[in-house]
Amino acid sequence: MLIAARNLTKFFELRGGLTGKGAVQAVSDVDVEVREGEIVGVVGESGSGKSTLGRLLLGLIAPTSGEVLFDIPEELLQKYDEARSANDKKTMEEIASKYSITRKSGRELRALRRRMNMMFQDPYSSLNPRWRVEDIIMEPMVSTGYLTGNEARKRVRELLEEVGLPREFAYRYPHELSGGQRQRVALARSISTLPSFLVLDEPTSALDVSAQAQILQLLKRIRERFRIGLLLITHNIAVVSYMSDRIYVMYAGKVVEGGPKTSIISKPQHPYTVALISAVPGNSRGPRVILRGEPPNLVDPPKGCHFHPRCPMVMDNCGWTAKEVAEELEFLLRGRYYGMLKEGSKVVPQGELEILVEGAKAEEVRKVIEEEKEEVKSLRSIYEVREGNGGALVKLMRYDIPGMYRTDEGREVSCLIYRKT
Amino acid sequence: METQKTEYEADRFREIKTSLSVFFSNKGAVVGLVIVLVYVVDALLVQFFPQALGLKHPYTLVSNYVNPVPQPPSASYPFGTTFPGVDLFTSILKAVRVDLGYSLFVVLLGAFIGTVLGVISAFAGGIVDEFVMRITDIFFSIPYLVLALAIGFVLGRTLDNMALALAIVWWPIYARYARGQALSIKEMTFVEAARASGSGGGKIMFRHILPNVLPPIFVQISLDLGTVVLVFSVLAFIGFIPNANVPELGYLASLGLNYVATAPWTVLFPGAAITLFALAVNLVGDGLRDVLDPRRRS
Amino acid sequence: MEYALSVKDLRVSFYTRRGVFKALNGVNLELRRGEVLGVAGESGSGKSTTGLAIMGLLPRNAKVSSGSVLFDGRDLLAPLTSIRKFSTGRNESAIRKLHRELAPIRGKRISMVFQEPMTSLNPVLQVGYQIAETLVIHNPSLLASRKLARVRATREDTTALLKVIKENEGSETAVREFVESRHLKGLEEQALFIWRRNDINELRKERLILDLCCEKVGSTTKRLLESLEGGMGITKAPVLSRLLRRVLFKEGYRKAVEFLSTLGVPNPEKVVQMYPHELSGGMRQRIVIAIALINNPDVVIMDEPTSAVDVTVQAQILELVKDLKRRVNSSFIFISHDLSVLGEVSDRIAIMYGGRVVEVGPKEIVLKAPRHPYTTMLINAIPTLDGREIRGIEGEAPDMRNPPPGCIFNNRCPFAMDKCRKEEPPSYKVSEDHYVACFLQGGK
Repeated sequence: MLIAARNLTKFFELRGGLTGKGAVQAVSDVDVEVREGEIVGVVGESGSGKSTLGRLLLGLIAPTSGEVLFDIPEELLQKYDEARSANDKKTMEEIASKYSITRKSGRELRALRRRMNMMFQDPYSSLNPRWRVEDIIMEPMVSTGYLTGNEARKRVRELLEEVGLPREFAYRYPHELSGGQRQRVALARSISTLPSFLVLDEPTSALDVSAQAQILQLLKRIRERFRIGLLLITHNIAVVSYMSDRIYVMYAGKVVEGGPKTSIISKPQHPYTVALISAVPGNSRGPRVILRGEPPNLVDPPKGCHFHPRCPMVMDNCGWTAKEVAEELEFLLRGRYYGMLKEGSKVVPQGELEILVEGAKAEEVRKVIEEEKEEVKSLRSIYEVREGNGGALVKLMRYDIPGMYRTDEGREVSCLIYRKT
Repeated sequence: METQKTEYEADRFREIKTSLSVFFSNKGAVVGLVIVLVYVVDALLVQFFPQALGLKHPYTLVSNYVNPVPQPPSASYPFGTTFPGVDLFTSILKAVRVDLGYSLFVVLLGAFIGTVLGVISAFAGGIVDEFVMRITDIFFSIPYLVLALAIGFVLGRTLDNMALALAIVWWPIYARYARGQALSIKEMTFVEAARASGSGGGKIMFRHILPNVLPPIFVQISLDLGTVVLVFSVLAFIGFIPNANVPELGYLASLGLNYVATAPWTVLFPGAAITLFALAVNLVGDGLRDVLDPRRRS
Repeated sequence: MEYALSVKDLRVSFYTRRGVFKALNGVNLELRRGEVLGVAGESGSGKSTTGLAIMGLLPRNAKVSSGSVLFDGRDLLAPLTSIRKFSTGRNESAIRKLHRELAPIRGKRISMVFQEPMTSLNPVLQVGYQIAETLVIHNPSLLASRKLARVRATREDTTALLKVIKENEGSETAVREFVESRHLKGLEEQALFIWRRNDINELRKERLILDLCCEKVGSTTKRLLESLEGGMGITKAPVLSRLLRRVLFKEGYRKAVEFLSTLGVPNPEKVVQMYPHELSGGMRQRIVIAIALINNPDVVIMDEPTSAVDVTVQAQILELVKDLKRRVNSSFIFISHDLSVLGEVSDRIAIMYGGRVVEVGPKEIVLKAPRHPYTTMLINAIPTLDGREIRGIEGEAPDMRNPPPGCIFNNRCPFAMDKCRKEEPPSYKVSEDHYVACFLQGGK
């Protein structure tokens, strides 16, 4: 296996403000794999943690926890996974200490840079404006000691031709190039040491379609020629669908679905993937699913499945908490059931799983819930309403946290619908 | 390949031409540049070819105790004379060299220390950053003139020591400025790309960040040259630097102070020489800023 | 056919130090009433400049060398086209004049939605205030009559109104007739809005409609509102104008809440009190759309309204635009670099390249059977979900400071002939409504 991430987690600590400290849970508990010469797409919306994941895999930022196992033999990876499910910390530690790039020292990591690199989204800020193209492309070779001096210079000319630019571009400065040409230079830089793993972070989203098509074709050719494993991070599902062999779909810091491209695009399983694919403009397969709301704030993500507040297929145990349900209940009681809540009374969440509807009768509240359950999905999590101290006491079901469930042909889905009981 | 290369050199030449045309479209900057050039030429001549200006004693003031009372401007003394019988015109010619030299020394030394510390503190972050910035805070909390006086007093009140003292109070401005610039450049993706390419901290700091920090620092340097001349003359004027016979603009102005009511030119001409330089340097700085600001280029 | 707006042979260049940038080279576009016209193109094609030119929002180094933007029988860009030789000073004063002339039109009859909602909203003002502001500037009499209607109406009026609404099941014409017979203009939209809400029950709706009456205002305020309703502008008298504005802004907030709710904004009462940074990207874009649409403009220009938002939010916004197209009387120009987005919302699509419209026609024809080589190649360059092979367009976009002679696409066109390098192709009509600027279509 070229690279495999296990339980990879990154929380960015917030510096204390007025509201106290917290952490942005950018990536939580993610497993991904890239094989030699494979193109793996990572799709997700902004804030889904896909860019952070790319940087974690390259060791550009240190994870909060979890391992990135680089160039690990299949059988050892299998052994690691077995040890993980058996909770055998010792074996895991043994393997990780040898293969995980998170355990490597600064110098070891720098030596690894020859074998992995990254290409960035913004063609304008990813090239130093005061360097010539030649120096830009040479940088990885010189820094890692791959090639130096005239040999490196010669190689720059070859690389320029490889990415479809004339040799004379070596003497130019970035501002003299168009966006597409800059991205070619960036690509030449990232493949200059013939790495075996490359992370592409939105390589074409700043480009026009005509330039995008050229870069994508070029990337495919480069992959064929040098057998580089590519991790393609993008928000554009069509691009992923054109490029990748396998796809991971990320939402709010978690991988919600992963598997071979063709089967995911034609038969998405996770409700988020379904909505995401149906939201692609011009897509005519199946009815369009319009999601309500927007991705959550990752300082305090929803409990249970992160997607549950927007999920059209949400169930009773997907992660509803008293706060969410109380809000919707109060909205109903003040609007559609106006009159049921007395002046000055409130709907108060008590703890994570109990709500007190002040001054209301259990019977009435039960009726509201029965009537609205179909439309207001959060109410489904209520399993009991009884008379409480000063009103009706509403009790919620305890939620489950979805794991990764294998479905078919190498596919994994993180959704309770697919949990086998 | 070589012909191609020269073609792109030509491209680059066009680029420089646009820069120049931006600079020259700012009339104030052109006037400033002309004045600054006059000062620089004067300083160089005094330093290397004093004969060309007809100066016999280029590095000292020549007094005339026979007739020490200031004389008004006349054909033989275009700017008049000051106490004790010193010809103002030739003295100002000599003084420009001294002031320009010290000002350059102060600003360049201050800028060098400040920029290096600023870039390091931005790049290292954490405790280093905190430490450097708190030191600059201390410097900022005391008026720089007072601080320079104090340091000068400790080092000994000579012209050279005073220049050193000013350089010591001058670097924090550059440290702050360079740090701010470096912090914004550190966020650019090419820095991350360099790290992904295996470049070490030193290379990133000095090959990637520093070259991008420098241009705005140059503008600041050009603006500060004038300010330092001003500060330097103020110190000499108030008599802090006992510099018998060294031609220095502030000292020159202070010589005629007792006669200012009857002989205003004794203060006016050296003062004007200082002000004109400070003004001209500021105008040039503005022009440079235009050149560097891509928004003003179009 | 009468057009909502038409752009005729528009040529705009920008004077820069590095030369004259020819942004638009003879743009012809007609916007029909009630349609959504999609304008597609890559960066530098002039699609955004076209939008800005229609709004008269050109920078001071822009010169309009020929052409016109005809709206409502007049040329909006007349002050600019009258300048023959370019000079910054002359141009600046012409643009000032243009701004003065267009002020009553912008935001009221033609309005614009920009790509980045964060920069087009003022960060220090509540979003409700910003919506109310466009109303107070362009339509203060509407606000005055809304307020006055509630002042004049008696409990008996609203009781009768409720009865009319119930009997006619919320029919708009019946309510309007009733309101006019009682001289309570301005009440109908408020009542109907309450009636159409579905987040509250009948009981509460009835209570709210009945409460649309018997409001008290000071006699001075009332006089001011009445003169405003009678067609006078907002008074300039110092204290009085403050007083009046306060009342109008409060009413503007009310109307903003109603309008936002029709745009599908949940909990609009809370949203109007928020500041832009408290809202998510999609919500901000809805606010910008609300500001553009609240005065019921004839033409709305949307410049890449979905490019800064996520796919799922983009789907929401596109759904909203489709819904608006059905509901309001405005005509839309929808500018985007994404042809598939345009395919979702447009009736007709215009493809721009190098400052010209190279192909324009009904959506289905342009997307499925394009006739201009550039359109064909552009469509072939877009990756789709089925993973079909894509092809980039060789070469780079032309340098618009020094565009090639003849057809602007000739250096990248695989079919380029000698003629293409010498003459500019005119727009040929290839079928009903379908025009292509290419010599390949000319023989027929």
